Amino acid sequence: MIKYKRFELGNGLKFLIHEDTSTPLVAMNILYDVGSRDEDPDLTGLAHLFEHLMFGGSLNIPEYDTPLQMAGGENNAFTNNDITNYYLTIPSQNIETAFWLESDRMLELDFSQKNLDTQKNVVIEEFNQRYLNQPYGDAILKLRPAAYKVHPYRWPTIGRDILHIADTELNQIREFYFSHYAPNNAIIALTGNIDYNHAFDLAVKWFGPIEKRTINARNLPEEPQQKEERIVTMEKDVPADAIYKAWHMGSRKNPEFFTLDLITDLLSGGESGRLNISLVREKKLFSDINAYITSDIDPGLLMIHGKLMKNVDIREADTAITEVLDSLYSKGKIDEEMEKVKNRHESSTVFSNTSILNKAMNLAYYELLGNAELVNKQVEYYRKVNHEMVIETTRKVLIPSNCNTLYYKSGRKEL
Amino acid sequence: MNELQRIQPPLFPVESVEIPEAAMHTLKNGVPVFLIESGTEDIMRLEFTFKAGQAREYIPLLASTTNMMLSEGSQNYSSEELNRQLDFYGTFLHLDCDRDRSEIVLFFLNKHIEKILELSREIVFRPAFPDPELNTLMKKRQRWHQVNREKVNKLADDQFFESVFGKNHPYGYKILEKDYENLNTSMLAEYHQRYYTTDNMAVIVSGKIHDQTIDLLNKYFGETVINRHYNSDNEHNIKGNTEKRVFINKDNSIQTAIRIGSSTINKMHPDYPGLKILDTILGGYFGSRLMKNIREDKGYTYGINSSVSSLNLAGYKMISTEVGKDNYRKALDEIYNEIRILQNKPINNEELNLVRNYMSGEMVRMFDGPFALAESFKSVWEFGLGNEYYHRLAEKIRIIEPDEITQLARTYYNIDDLYEVSAGSK
Repeated sequence: MIKYKRFELGNGLKFLIHEDTSTPLVAMNILYDVGSRDEDPDLTGLAHLFEHLMFGGSLNIPEYDTPLQMAGGENNAFTNNDITNYYLTIPSQNIETAFWLESDRMLELDFSQKNLDTQKNVVIEEFNQRYLNQPYGDAILKLRPAAYKVHPYRWPTIGRDILHIADTELNQIREFYFSHYAPNNAIIALTGNIDYNHAFDLAVKWFGPIEKRTINARNLPEEPQQKEERIVTMEKDVPADAIYKAWHMGSRKNPEFFTLDLITDLLSGGESGRLNISLVREKKLFSDINAYITSDIDPGLLMIHGKLMKNVDIREADTAITEVLDSLYSKGKIDEEMEKVKNRHESSTVFSNTSILNKAMNLAYYELLGNAELVNKQVEYYRKVNHEMVIETTRKVLIPSNCNTLYYKSGRKEL
Repeated sequence: MNELQRIQPPLFPVESVEIPEAAMHTLKNGVPVFLIESGTEDIMRLEFTFKAGQAREYIPLLASTTNMMLSEGSQNYSSEELNRQLDFYGTFLHLDCDRDRSEIVLFFLNKHIEKILELSREIVFRPAFPDPELNTLMKKRQRWHQVNREKVNKLADDQFFESVFGKNHPYGYKILEKDYENLNTSMLAEYHQRYYTTDNMAVIVSGKIHDQTIDLLNKYFGETVINRHYNSDNEHNIKGNTEKRVFINKDNSIQTAIRIGSSTINKMHPDYPGLKILDTILGGYFGSRLMKNIREDKGYTYGINSSVSSLNLAGYKMISTEVGKDNYRKALDEIYNEIRILQNKPINNEELNLVRNYMSGEMVRMFDGPFALAESFKSVWEFGLGNEYYHRLAEKIRIIEPDEITQLARTYYNIDDLYEVSAGSK
C-alpha cells in the first residue's frame, strides 16, 4: 500500500505526495502528458529530441544539470509513445533546488541553436547505437508500421526517419513546447523524506505563478481492426533467424489488460514460463523467447519474440509458438500456474515499492490514467483474472487474423 | 500580484550519512552471516557468496557455468520443479559469477522464508548437474555468444580485458565459440565440490530482519560442514599484452566502440579514494569533462563514461564510448586531450565543489535501502575492509586539493601506459 495525498494548483498542475522517512532522499517525478503519439507524421522523433533540449537551459537558469549536481542530486528522463517523464533524487535538505529547476523549465525554455544542433547529433548517435548498429535493433522499426496503419504508434519514439530529427527547426521546437509543456498538462509526484505541508508550500511558491496554457484536445486516428494475418520477411547479416509476433489488444484502460498481462506471464514469466519450458528446454527450437504487452495507453500490442537455434525451420518454430498459445485453453494444472503468476506479480509489486523513485513514477503514471489510487489496485485487479477470462481473451486476441509476424532471417549459411 | 524572484534557493551541505554496521553472526558450522536491517517492506534479500569466480577456473566458462547450473536440478528436485517452485513463491533468483566471486542471490517476501531456505539449500549445496540441462544451456549460450559477436561494444570489451590482463589469465581471456563445447557435468560437480564449501562462504542478509532469521539459517545451512580440499589453486599470471593499440574490424559498422584504460590499483591502496574522485571528474557523472566535451559540446556520441573498478588481484580503469565512425579520430584526440588537461592544469574551485557535492549525494544513494546497503557492504567486505573505507572516501571528497588531483592524473593516467582498443569499420 502506498499512502499519498493529492492537491491541485489553480493552474491545473497536480501533485501527489508520499512520505517515507526511512530515507534521507526525496524523489521528484514530473510527467508531461506528451509522447511520440502526439507528433506530426512528417516530424517524428520530436518529443524525444525535445526531452534532450529540456536540459539545455531555461528562462533564469543557463543549464539544468550543474545546479542539481551541486545540490547532491541526480536525474534522468525518458520518452515513450505516450509520455515524457523527468525524474530526480536529491538529499531532502536541498529539495527546494529541484522545485526551482523544474518550475523554471516549465515556465520557459531558453536553449540555443548550438544546443539544438549538438543534441540532434546526440540523438542521431542514439538512433545508431540502439537501432542501427545492433543486431536485430531494426526489427521494431519494421514491425510497428506493419502492425499500425494509421495510429501514430506506427512509428517508434526515436522517430520514423533520422532525417526528421536532422531537419527539425527551432521554431517547430518552440511551437511544440507551448502546445504541450504546461502546468495543466503535467503531474508531479514527490516521494521520500518530505512532508505534505512542506511540499505544498514549495509547490505554491515555485509552480503557482506559472500560467495555464491552451492544450488542444488529443484527437488521434483510431487504428481500424485488422482483418487478416500479416507476414513480413526481411533478411540481414545476423547469426540467427528470429521471429517477432505482435497481436493488437485493447487500451490500457480496457479490463482485458490484466488478463493479457497475466497471459504473457503464463507464457514467459520466470524460468518456468510455458514458452521457455516447451520451446527452449524441451523442443530446443529457440535460444530465448519472450512475451510481454507494450502497456501503451491507446490500444497496444501483445508481443512474442525469440531467436532460433541452428537448423530450425522458421515456419516450424512459428507453428510451435501457436501450439503453446493453444495450450492456454486446456485445464491441466492451470489453477496452480495461475496462482504462481499471481504470487510473482504481487512479489514484484512489493519489490518495486522499495524504491522511492519507482513509487514516484507509478503515482504520476496512474494519476495520468485517471486516478493515482490505481497504484494500490493493480495486484487486486490482476488477482481477479480466472481461467475463463484467459480462454475468452486468448480466443479473441491471440488469433492469426489479429497477428503481425516478422520473419527476421539470417543471410548467412550455417554449417 | 507578487512577482516571484526566481533566484536560486540556498544550498545546504550534504553530510555523509550514518552507515549502519552489519551485525555479524556465526552459524554452527562457522559460516559467517551478516545482517543488515533496512527498509519499510517485509522483504528479504538473501545472498550466498563464494570465492569461486573466474579467477579459480582452469578452463574457460567453468566458473560461470557451474554457477548457472546450480538451479538446474538438485538431489530432491528436477530443474523444472525447482524453477516452478521459486516462481510459485514469487522469488527472484540471481545467479551471478564475476571474476572473483560466485553468488546466489534471492529476493522474496519474508512470509515465504522457510520454503525459500529449503530451496536455496538445494541450489547451494545439492545441485545435481544433469547432462541434458547442461547441453541445452551450452547450446543456448553459444547462440547468445554468436549474437554478441555482432556488437562492437562487446568486441571492444573482450579485447580490452585481454589486452589489459593477458591471454592467459581468467580476468583477460576471451571466450571463443568452441569453449562452449568443452565442459561436462563431472567437471562442474568437481568445481562445485571444491569451491562451494562452508569454509569458502558467507551469507549476507538485508531487508526486514525477523527474530528467527539466524535460527532458520542454522536449521538449513548450519548443519552442513564441507571443507575445501586444500589442493593448490590454479596460479595464473596477470601480464598485459605488449601491443597497446588494437583495432578490430567489423564490416559495415556505423559506429566505432572505443575502450581506453589499463590495470591499476584496487581498493586496498591508500590512493584509491583519490583515484575515484579523479575518475568522476574525467568521466564518472553526467557533468564530467568527457561528457561535457564529447557529447554535450561536440555531439560525437550518445554517451561516454569512465570508471575505476576493483578486483581482488588488481584494479582497472576504463573509458568507454561508441562514436559515429566519421568522428572516431576526433573523439580519440579529445579523450587524450582531456587526460592531458587533468595532468597539467589544476581543477578550479567551482568544478571541484561541484564534484564534491555530487559525490556526497552519491554516497547518500549508496546506502539508501536494503539492496544498496547489501551491495555497498559486500564491495568492501570482500577486500577485508569495512565502513572505514567509506569514511576515508567521504573525508577525501571533503578535503582533496587541486594539486593532489593533478598528481594522481600524472601517476595513474600516464598515456603511454594506456591500452586503446577500438571495434568498428575503418
